[in-house]
Amino acid sequence: MSVRAWWHKAFLVERPSLSLGLFRIAVAITVGAHLFPGFFQMEDNYLATAFKEKNGSFFPLWALQLIEQSPDWLVWTFVGLFGGSWACVLIGLNTQASCLLMGVSCYYFYALNSLHIGTLSFDILLVTLSLMYVTSYPGDFLSVDSFLRGDRAGAHAYKRLRPFFVQRLLQLQIAWTFLYTGLSKITAGGNWLTDNPYYYLLRYPPQGVVRQFPFRAWLAGQPEVCQWIELVVITGEFALPFLLFIRRTRPFALLWGVSFHVLLLVTLHVPTIFFFLFPPQLLLFVEPETLVRWIERRRTRHAQRGRIRLLYDGRCGFCLASVARLFALDLFGRLEPIDFHGVADLRAIHPSLTREGCQSRMQLVEPYGRIAEGFDAFRRISVRLVLLWWLVPLLYLPGARWVGVRAYDWVAARRFLFHRNTACQTNQCSSNT
Amino acid sequence: MILWIAVFHYETLRLNYLSPLIGRELPKLKFLYPPAGWIMFFNVDRSYGFTEVYGLKHGQPSLIDPHEIFETRFVWYDNIHRNVLISVLSLHDAPRFCRYLRRKFPQYDGFTVVYAAHPDLANRPDEIQRQVMYRCP
Repeated sequence: MSVRAWWHKAFLVERPSLSLGLFRIAVAITVGAHLFPGFFQMEDNYLATAFKEKNGSFFPLWALQLIEQSPDWLVWTFVGLFGGSWACVLIGLNTQASCLLMGVSCYYFYALNSLHIGTLSFDILLVTLSLMYVTSYPGDFLSVDSFLRGDRAGAHAYKRLRPFFVQRLLQLQIAWTFLYTGLSKITAGGNWLTDNPYYYLLRYPPQGVVRQFPFRAWLAGQPEVCQWIELVVITGEFALPFLLFIRRTRPFALLWGVSFHVLLLVTLHVPTIFFFLFPPQLLLFVEPETLVRWIERRRTRHAQRGRIRLLYDGRCGFCLASVARLFALDLFGRLEPIDFHGVADLRAIHPSLTREGCQSRMQLVEPYGRIAEGFDAFRRISVRLVLLWWLVPLLYLPGARWVGVRAYDWVAARRFLFHRNTACQTNQCSSNT
Repeated sequence: MILWIAVFHYETLRLNYLSPLIGRELPKLKFLYPPAGWIMFFNVDRSYGFTEVYGLKHGQPSLIDPHEIFETRFVWYDNIHRNVLISVLSLHDAPRFCRYLRRKFPQYDGFTVVYAAHPDLANRPDEIQRQVMYRCP
């Protein structure tokens, strides 16, 4: 294979971008876990009364001096900016711009006070974040952006093809971080081959970085065992970057990598990046095509078992747009939308279906014959569609049905007002239009 | 992509490998990458240092819980255990930290900031040496 072909295959070939959509959520959670806690103690951390530390090796002096002049109102403004952009990144609304704004806010608070957040972990997070806002790909899947598209592209967001370079660089970042972390332990001042650092860590006083975990006291008395553990850690850090890129060893490497981070988390006070970011970043080594095939298999299975038939008014633009959006949320192909105007015999679908019923509310017929309409149909859909599960507790709250049925019927009766067809902008449009 | 990869490796290797090789300190790219590469727990020795802050009331010192000094609680980890308080030891930071302490703990007349260290965790784990770094009147 020529270098050009290899480069194309490694970075430029178009592959499904759904993994980036999932990873976007992990990044948002990690960034939130780093910054939000500091906002609960604004006087201590960011306002004029705070004790602040500056990271002069990361920021140029002019930037630190500029940010230092921030009045408190500006700090609060950035809190709002961060909160808003963070929420948008989490749900994937205007993903690229939101991610960029969230990144700017991260830099602002980092420059303002690096005392709590200015760790090596945060530097790693910023490198990761820089790869998340260079393209809009992280907003392709599991996002409001894909939902708002509401078309065939939205419905099949999980298999949208994009150049693979963002995911590849994220893979390389974590692989090289493992490699260089191992290298620094045995060269350049690292003492993992010449001394017994893990043993010393375990003998740290209770206020130190090591948690109280089972067998800690026993391990703290076993310097030889600690040396073996050090060897395993270094071997792992050197081996993982290679094992992750070899298809056959990848499952083992993923298991090893994720387990390593879980162990770190339960034994040390390491920042949340080790939990929320690194394991999901390791999972970026799972081939996106594998995820697509898994989704396709589930869609096929549901098609074989019989889909849930959703009867809607195909002459209403608002209904068409709503169904398209529901379709976009239907990851596993549970729904079969049917325009009731195109059905000659509604009773063939379900004996209790009537044209008048379909005209007034959407009707949902489940494979085993259960039927629901209007708000109740939407509640059933929320249970069936994984991407709507977050709505289930709200829709089944006591009193939600009372409000929901009335709200649904109010909108349904006036649905032609929401008509996209400019010829039918008033409620005069009827079923005959 | 080539640039990203090149800068990634440059910044990773710059301080501990490239600069010694060239014989002079190479410039660091600002706004991205840690100052010394990926050096997580790369060097842990047998000593351990930490900070103690004492509040003075009528001349009597009492140790202040570090969790009361920096009250921010993070998700699943504790920055006090990550020795965040060690940052206040610098004399350069003393005026600002004293001002901070006076705001947080108005009940005290003054403060003493002490550097405490276990010199040898392997052989003398109970030994602690203390040194007053500065006082806040």
